Amino acid sequence: MTDQLDEARDKARRLRADIRSFHERVMPDDLKRKSHLHQVLDKDDYVRWMRLLNDQGWAIGHWPKEHGGQGWSLLERFTFEDELARLGCPWVIPFGVKYVGPVIYAFGREEQKRRFLPRIATTEDFWAQGYSEPGAGSDLAALRTEAIREGDHYVVNGQKVWTTYAQWADWLFCLVKTARGEQAQKSISFVLIDMKSPGVTVKPIPTMDGYVHVNEVWLENVRVPAENLVGAEGEGWTYAKYLLKNERTAGALLGMACHALERLKALAQEKPSASPERTAARIGELELRLLALEAASYQAVESMMRGTDHGGEASLIKLRGTELYQDIAEAAIDLLGFAGVAWDPAALHAASAPPLGPEDAGGIVKDHFYNRAATIFGGASEIQRNIVAKGVLGL
Amino acid sequence: MNMDLETAGMLRDSASRYAADNYDFLQRHAVLADPAGYSGKAWRDYAELGWLALRLPEKHGGLDADPLAVGALMEVVGSRLLMEPVLASALVSTGLVRSQGSAAQQDALLPQLADGSVKLAFADAEAAGDPRCQVRAGRISGRKIAVLQGDIADRLIVSAADADHGGERRLFLVDAKSAEIERRHYRFVDGRGAANLHFAGVPAERLDPDDGTPAATAIADVLDHATVASCAEALGIVRALVATTCEYLKIRKQFGRAIGTNQALQHRAVDMFLLQEEIAALTRSAQEALLRPAAERARIISGAKAYISSAARKVANEAVQMHGGLGITEELDVSHYFRRLMVNAALFGSRDEHFARFLAATTHSSPEGIPA
Repeated sequence: MTDQLDEARDKARRLRADIRSFHERVMPDDLKRKSHLHQVLDKDDYVRWMRLLNDQGWAIGHWPKEHGGQGWSLLERFTFEDELARLGCPWVIPFGVKYVGPVIYAFGREEQKRRFLPRIATTEDFWAQGYSEPGAGSDLAALRTEAIREGDHYVVNGQKVWTTYAQWADWLFCLVKTARGEQAQKSISFVLIDMKSPGVTVKPIPTMDGYVHVNEVWLENVRVPAENLVGAEGEGWTYAKYLLKNERTAGALLGMACHALERLKALAQEKPSASPERTAARIGELELRLLALEAASYQAVESMMRGTDHGGEASLIKLRGTELYQDIAEAAIDLLGFAGVAWDPAALHAASAPPLGPEDAGGIVKDHFYNRAATIFGGASEIQRNIVAKGVLGL
Repeated sequence: MNMDLETAGMLRDSASRYAADNYDFLQRHAVLADPAGYSGKAWRDYAELGWLALRLPEKHGGLDADPLAVGALMEVVGSRLLMEPVLASALVSTGLVRSQGSAAQQDALLPQLADGSVKLAFADAEAAGDPRCQVRAGRISGRKIAVLQGDIADRLIVSAADADHGGERRLFLVDAKSAEIERRHYRFVDGRGAANLHFAGVPAERLDPDDGTPAATAIADVLDHATVASCAEALGIVRALVATTCEYLKIRKQFGRAIGTNQALQHRAVDMFLLQEEIAALTRSAQEALLRPAAERARIISGAKAYISSAARKVANEAVQMHGGLGITEELDVSHYFRRLMVNAALFGSRDEHFARFLAATTHSSPEGIPA
């Protein structure tokens, strides 16, 4: 195992160097600039970004080689997200390459693999995730969207919510109820819904950060071909859990916190604080928490690779990463003063400079708003603590 | 560079077994009640088990153990709150003899350290405002304070300005039983002994390393090792506190049900566990950092110590709180862990000192924790 780990460490180190060189030499300046200023990226930006990554073999680097990936170790996978985020790169949109892709190659039929996987790799299809519902957030198993079999179709009725980038999506992977009255987990199925189907309506949900990233998706008598069921009926919960297990290590959190802290330190240099000593101590404590997050993250990855993990690692990284990221954002807002409350949405689209403060002031404010959701989505902090209490501590 | 997982694992297992059989909480109570403040029998056992030779080179019958193995032992020292001077003598002082003793001095001393016949203590700290300790014509004068287990040491390693050689800071061996030492023995709050020592012209033998390593370099190196060892000890303590608290939450009933069924308490227990895991991760990073040159490791080691000092305190505070009144009693181990952590936080540099050292060594917020 030590040998395998050494090899993984070597490969991860090379990958990190390759990413730095990619960022320096290959990434187009306009994209780099937008993302460094934390401006809003549109669909074209993201598609272009995902294809750039795919050109390097990275968009699906974590897929097994037989499906066109590079068979990355967990460490390479983590390093990939970590390094991109450290460099302030755009978000790696996960819905296709990280979420539905692996479910399709692990549980889908051959025909589904041939049809969907290549188009996921190239972001030919843009995917969204249909999980949460108005009555099923943290308690996802309470979902009520129904899929009734009629001949060779399912007829789907229900409402999904918080669906990120549904307004751009070609496809929705969706958890639906295919049986009534049974144990919740045994009645859920995993289906793929073409967003162009009649009866699909997307309604944006305005959020305080001023742009649209989440939506309601209404499904009214949507006819979904039965061949779009992934795996077996009633096994959707298992697949959703498999998907989550693949997502145990959100490397991006560490990288984002690191990037944000570097920016915070630069801000503190640029702008005299009312109390430099207090500011230095505040930043220092954040720096110390970053050190702890870094150590905990990499050691969690290595424990998982050794098989000595206790199961609480994902929650640990998410809790600490999101808390830290939020606190860094808050410190930046405090340092910005009036520039931290001045708001010109146009400046988020590269149309104009922010009314006050440095060029990225609007982006910092926008991120601060968005980051409040980080402790809510993907399993709220309270749910993470429930998971550890039950699963690890036996309480 | 990889550390030896297997040796560390074996040491952990054998130390845990030994301590479970010979050093349970009741047996420890007897040691605490003994005026000596430690168990001579246990000390001899440690020698038998090879613990006292952990940091010795192989040619002196030692294990030349890496930081991971030292940490494995220290976790057990923490989880069982062993009272013997493993840290003070076998790690810190032995490390100083190893790096500052001449070949002849090492040949004379190391075997006695390995077999436990000599216990050493390192007298370094001085009270603010006191004149610095100094050696003139081979005799040492001055005061040292808070010498960990200086009450039971056979010999002392004392840092002092060497007036015979231009005032350079050097290390000296002093016979602890010397009549010219005026001493005040006391205990730290965790029951381990300590001493304030007043040297009035006590004969002192200078440690003379053959390779000429300055004493300041050797002391800094040994303090880094000691700091990391105390992080591992804190980890052992914190693991014990988290386990015992979770156990208590399951058995203690109020209002007709186990208190651990309350989500508020569950979440606080989880927060203790998260701190434990961070302490474990930072300890491991700090152990790996010890294998790097001194200049490259300050950030991680001091960062670890600073974080762990406050994290362990939070865990201890919560453990006491969740045990209710029992948490502050002598009868329960919780208060003993609490007190050991207090002492550990004060040893080898305060939280503030390590935090400052961490910040001074930080230019960019990365990426030393990343496996190199």
